[in-house]
Order: sequence, then C-alpha cells, then structure tokens
Amino acid sequence: MIRRAVLLVLGLVWLGPTYLLVVNAFRPANSYDASRAWAPSGDIAIFQNFALAIERADLGGSLASTLLYSVVSPALAVLIGALAGYTIVVLRLRGGFWWFMLIFGGTIFPTQMLLVPLFVTYSDAGLYDSRPGMILVYTAVSVPLAAFVLRNFFTGVAFSIFEAARMDGASTLRIFVRIYLPLAGSALAAVFILEFTFIWNDLLFGLALTQTSGVRPVMTQLAGLMTDVYAGTPVPVGLAAGLVVSLPTVALFLATQRLFARGLSLGSV
Amino acid sequence: MTLQLERAPGRAGGARRPRRAPLHGRLRPGYVAPAVLLVAALLYAPFLWTVYLSFTSYDGLAPPAFAGLRNFGELLEDPALLTSIRNTLIWVAGTMVLPVGLGLLVAVLSYDLPRGAWYRLPFMLPYALSGAGLAMVWSPILSHDGIANRLLGVDTAFLQEEPHNTLAMLLVWTWQQLGVNTLLFVVGLQSIPKEPIEAARLDGASGWSLFRHVIWPLMAPLTAVVVGLALVASLKTFDIVWVMTQGGPGRNSETLAVTMYRETFVASQYGYGSAVAVLLTVVAGLASYLYLRGQVRTA
Repeated sequence: MIRRAVLLVLGLVWLGPTYLLVVNAFRPANSYDASRAWAPSGDIAIFQNFALAIERADLGGSLASTLLYSVVSPALAVLIGALAGYTIVVLRLRGGFWWFMLIFGGTIFPTQMLLVPLFVTYSDAGLYDSRPGMILVYTAVSVPLAAFVLRNFFTGVAFSIFEAARMDGASTLRIFVRIYLPLAGSALAAVFILEFTFIWNDLLFGLALTQTSGVRPVMTQLAGLMTDVYAGTPVPVGLAAGLVVSLPTVALFLATQRLFARGLSLGSV
Repeated sequence: MTLQLERAPGRAGGARRPRRAPLHGRLRPGYVAPAVLLVAALLYAPFLWTVYLSFTSYDGLAPPAFAGLRNFGELLEDPALLTSIRNTLIWVAGTMVLPVGLGLLVAVLSYDLPRGAWYRLPFMLPYALSGAGLAMVWSPILSHDGIANRLLGVDTAFLQEEPHNTLAMLLVWTWQQLGVNTLLFVVGLQSIPKEPIEAARLDGASGWSLFRHVIWPLMAPLTAVVVGLALVASLKTFDIVWVMTQGGPGRNSETLAVTMYRETFVASQYGYGSAVAVLLTVVAGLASYLYLRGQVRTA
C-alpha cells in the first residue's frame, strides 16, 4: 500500500507541469495570467497559438527544413551504414573488423570537438547556413550507429542465402538491394526512428552551423523564441509551439512501437 | 584503396563451405568507402583539428598561431571556467541522485505491481518534450512572478542566483529524464530470473533486505549501463542550460559544454574554445575509463 501511495503522490507531482502545459497551451494567447494558470480556460486556442508561433519565430521554413533533415539524413545514413555492414560481414572485407571499428569509433567524439572545424570549413566551402551542409553533417553523425546495428543484424543472417544468390548469378550489389536490405527492414526502421528523433531534437549543430530561419532546425529556432525574444512571446504561444513540435517524434514512436521492439532484438530474422 | 579480397574460409557456420569464398566482385572495398569517408571527413578530421586548435591562438580570421599550452594555462585561472566546472560536477552528481536514483526507486516500487505501467505513465509523458519544449514549460513556472513562487508562497529567483539556478534546472531535467531511466530499470527488473527471488522469499527475506541482497546484485549489469550512459550525458549537459538561462546570468550557470559554445561562437575565441572542448573530452574520457575500470573490478 505504501508503494502505491508513494507512486501516486510522485506521479501527481509529475503530472502538475504536464497539466499546466496542456491547459495553458489551449488558452488564448493574451489571456495568460500566472495567478490563474491552474484553471482551464475552456477555449481551444492551441491552433491559433501555434499559428502565432509560426509567424513570430518564422517556424514555417524551419519546420520544412527540419523534416527534410530528419528524413533524408537518417535514410542516407541507414543505406550507407547497411552497405558498410554488408560489405564487412557478408562480403568478408579483408580487415573488416578494423574498418568497422573505424566507422563505429566516430560515435565517441563529443559534438563540442567537431564544431569549430566544421564551422570554419563550412564557412569556407559555402556550406554554412545551407540545407546540404546540414544534411551532410547529420548523415555523418548518424552513420556509426547505422553501421553498428546493421552489421550485427547481418551477422545473424544465414550465409547460405548469399551463396544461393551468387549461384544464380546475381551481382553483390543486386543481392544487397534485393535480398539483404528487405531482410533488414525492421532494423533499418528502428535505426531510422532513433536518428529521426535525434535530428528532430538537435539544438547544437543548428546553433553552430546555421543562421537564417529557413535553414535553422526547429529546436534551434524555438530556443530563439525563448531566449532572444522571450520577453514578447505570450506563454500560451510558447507552450503550443513546444507541444506541437514534440508531436512528430511521439507519433512516429507510438506508430512503430512494435516494429521498433522487433528491430532492436538484433540479429534475429 | 588497396583493399583485397579475403580468401580465408569464413567463420560462421561454414563447415561445408568451399575453401575459397567466391569472388564477390571488384567493387566491394568501395562499398565501405561512403561510410569511411563521411566519418573520416566530418568526425575524425574535425576532432584532430580541434585538438590542434586547442594549442593555438585563433580568432577565425587570422590563421591560427601556435601558442603551446597557453590556453590551458588560462583555463586554470579563469573564474568563469571554475564556476563552469563546479556546475558540471553538480550536474553529474545530481544526475546520479535524481533522474537515476529516483528512476530506480520508481522502477522498484512499480515493476511487479498489477497495472504498473499506469503508475509509470506520468513519468513517461515529459520524455516526449525536447530541450526547447522543456524550457517553454518551465520558464513560466520558475520565472519571478511565476507559478512556483505563487504555489510555495515565496519569492525566489530560481533561475538567477547561483547555485540554485543549476539546482532548479537539475529538477527540470529530473522531471524529463526520470521516465526513461525508470523504463530501463523496469526492463531490467522484469528480466531477472524469478527463482532466486522466490527462494529468498521462502527464506524470509522481504522489503529492503530482499532488494539489497538479492535484487540489487542481480540487476547490477543493467545499473552499470544506465549509470554509465547518464554519467557521460551529464558531463556534456548543454541543451537545457542553453535554452533556460544561456549559462547566465553573468555566466553563473554555465556548464563546460556551454562555456565551450560561448567562448567559441559568442566570444570568437576559437583556440580557447577548442581547449575547453579538449578539457571536456579528457574529463569525459577519464570518467568513463575510471567508471569502467571500477565496474570490471567489482564484477
């Protein structure tokens, strides 16, 4: 009984801010008052609030760009990582383990160690504040995890599949595209979702490598709404923006929960 | 590329395989090239370059001038950096106690309850919010005439004065991160074997002693992973501080990661900023190493 009571009390404390978030995101933008923040307003102004946020922080172009980054980069990374995993495991690349360690080793660098050179090189190469530049960097940071998961996955696939396809005269690339990629569907999806979420929520690369609102990732742009012009942003507008912008990752995760669990139980087909 | 075909017989399950692996086409070393090139150009090269820059004086305009250890010497005497190190330590210690420790508590209390998932739902909801969303939720609560002050009947400048602005942000962080730690612990608790627990129950163990002497040792490997992940992540705390206080006011809530960003992109001290990044990396590496070594010893 004590266990339930502790959980309930703690749970109620945790629900407090969540409740405030929802109630005040639905409140009309100009009617927020800290002394009455707990009382629901009965209005459903969240869409107007979100529209206001889009206008104020110029979120439209930013949202489109973020969607582009978080779809294209993980898709590329997953393909590149899968091809590397396939080459190392199935095609038995000489020194494959070391190539794998080289690729996977990319995960250990803190982002802070990358920013200055990336910023300087991007500025020189015309990639600073550009969508291709952002896609490139997001793809690169996503490759190591993709290579790791897909390498593990392909290790569990029977080699006889490959041999049979070779007997039938298929090229190695064709075997990869027609057999191994479809087999790895759920692992590819799981990695894609993880990386989609990472990129969708990224703040730091956006801060360091972009400037204009159409190129800036949405979290960076939203942070600007908080830090640069917060004085003028009504609380309900900020809350609506925070809530709506968080939805895609939640929706994606819920929609693919089963796929996700399957994809991460690595190595099993 | 000078890679060659591997002709040795393969490993896994290949008893009946021909001694020579079949030729798989000439292109195959090229297949790892995209991954290797991306990682080399955008992760390894910048990493090494930052290490070099940390020994230079560089403002991004004039070419970097070699400065030996001067940046690191300045680091040690910079009061802002000392504050930043102190705050980072608060983040690390606080993360162990609150999101991780409290997460463990919630997991242990709820994992074998009927409908335990419902008890855990309130803790999972905040995890959906990202750093920016988190700041949206908590700024009106923690602001001067905000909800927390009204609720508590006090007048505290939660986000202004040190060190309790760091502590306030730590609580916000706990609010967001507790759920995912709980979830990891629950997965671990549900997958430990039932027999030793049943046996201990029959022997009369219950409550704290059951947990301390039976459950805790059984879940040690998982705890090691959760703590290790939280340790490294908390050393690199950036997003929440940047969106809530930008390290201020007067740089008093900066962490190492925020200091690095500010020195580099606000003050244009690229060499000095790189030195902070190197310091952060060394500290994170050292902490991971000591932690892993401790784990291996106790295991």
